[in-house]
Amino acid sequence: MENVLSIRGLTKRFGGLAAVDGVDLDFPYGVLSAVIGPNGAGKTTLFNLITGMLPADGGEVIFEGDDIAGLKPHQIVSRGLSRTLQIKSVFTGLTVADNLRVAVMAHEKIASPLRPALGFSGVNRRVEELLAETGLARLAKRVAGTLSYGDVALLEIALALANKPKLLLLDEPICGMSPAETETTVARIVALSKSTQIILIEHDMEVVFAIAERITVMAAGRVLARGTPKEIAANRDVQDAYLGAPEDAA
Amino acid sequence: MRAAGIALIVALVAALASLPLVLPAFGLTFWVNVVAEILIWSLLAASVNLLFGYVGLLSFGQALYFGFGMYGTAIGISMFGLGLWPALALGIVASTGMAAVAGAFAVRLTWHYFAIITVVFSLIFYFVAMSQKWLTGGDDGLSFSAPPILEAAGWMLTDRTTQYYFIFLVCLACYALLALVVASPLGLRFAAVRENEKRAQLIGINVYATRWIAFVLAGFIAGVGGALLALFGRYASASYMFYHVSGEAVVWAIVGGAGTLLGPLVGTALLIIFREVVSGLWENYLMAVGAITILVVIFAPKGLVGSLTALVRRGESEEREHLENPGIPATPATARAEAE
Repeated sequence: MENVLSIRGLTKRFGGLAAVDGVDLDFPYGVLSAVIGPNGAGKTTLFNLITGMLPADGGEVIFEGDDIAGLKPHQIVSRGLSRTLQIKSVFTGLTVADNLRVAVMAHEKIASPLRPALGFSGVNRRVEELLAETGLARLAKRVAGTLSYGDVALLEIALALANKPKLLLLDEPICGMSPAETETTVARIVALSKSTQIILIEHDMEVVFAIAERITVMAAGRVLARGTPKEIAANRDVQDAYLGAPEDAA
Repeated sequence: MRAAGIALIVALVAALASLPLVLPAFGLTFWVNVVAEILIWSLLAASVNLLFGYVGLLSFGQALYFGFGMYGTAIGISMFGLGLWPALALGIVASTGMAAVAGAFAVRLTWHYFAIITVVFSLIFYFVAMSQKWLTGGDDGLSFSAPPILEAAGWMLTDRTTQYYFIFLVCLACYALLALVVASPLGLRFAAVRENEKRAQLIGINVYATRWIAFVLAGFIAGVGGALLALFGRYASASYMFYHVSGEAVVWAIVGGAGTLLGPLVGTALLIIFREVVSGLWENYLMAVGAITILVVIFAPKGLVGSLTALVRRGESEEREHLENPGIPATPATARAEAE
């Protein structure tokens, strides 16, 4: 088993439109992969199908050797496949620490109705760990709704890491960030990719070509090309469909 | 804040516990029963609040479970000849069971769809209860005489003070249960589902199961309230299952403060006392209730308790900032300018 995730014949139709059209893909272990493509290419739909947020019309999603197509999102998460969303999504009314606490508790299947939530020392330790890992410790007591955009994005990544995922899907992780925020987030993603499998969707070509080791190009619901950044940059189809002139991509 | 909150709760419990001794001394014996009734009805508001304030589901059908608690107890006593405690248990089991069944359908939906299905369920059973006169007494209701609380000790509901303490302690137990639950890992799950259903799924929470558990627990709390009201009035009637009753509880919860533990009690107390005082003087007093509700929703959307808590918290954090940064005055500049 050399692929963390394999997709076979995955299809999703919205009315007459095939948003994802019989896609076959393999994402090998130990490689930071990126999925790129013009708007409407089916990238986010692909992520939604993988994570069970949309039911597929056909095909298989094989994660660590098991077909997970048809499972509910929370079941897929508990198998160790986490994701972030294009529109940053956290628990805005809870503190940063409680955001992480509930995620850690969900992962550890702690749902006691009568013990105080703050009294689980193992959970508290893990929350501290996540806060330290993502550099959010100084904001632990802040209500998530009051954080800056960059910190919300960090918190969302921290939430996705709470279940110690084997695979992490990032949907446009730096979209809408300032240059400074982009720089720190990219550094964090690269650091994370040493310990966790990552697949990301991203529009910022500069970032994708700088950090991704394997790129998949989608267009109109199909896979247009796959390869290393160099191969993709040199690919005629990709240039025609998406990138424009080759010097733009370099 | 924590210390102040605990002190406030201890004071409230002490005040409620001493009421039957204090009120008669001022010739206000009648009010002992009013307070008992407020405590009972506040459980219906607490049931609405558990769903709306803590899980984010607005139910307009909680009177159904209140009614099941009522009828379970009344039928247990008048038809099966049960004692007080078994009848109370029967009422609670009936309401919790009904909530488990209705909840399995209702919590698949959210927002207006959820609100509508809860109303539909309560209407169906309202009409069933109205038509099955042999069992429920329909509009006339079902009267019975209350069995003793503890025969050996001679504790009877007919004694006003004994009855008050019986109701007070059962309600206190319900509020203690709610306090534990909302501060527990399950309570944190409730909050996660309320805040962001999608993200809750994506951290591995079964949103459907979480909502269902909350719904059943809310049915339980409403059922305890209904069972208590049956014992208090020695009477059960289908009219208590009507959605007007549910709607009233929603108003109590929102005015008092959804998402706060004591909000429902405060809201219920305020509006029932208001009714007791004003309805004798002015028959259209409900217009005033409507006005109060609108004012609270506009000017204190977190309800009375919620707004008060926010105010105290803000005061404290400003104070703390002031202590940490002595250069920054605790009061806003405009307020100071006005003061000068």
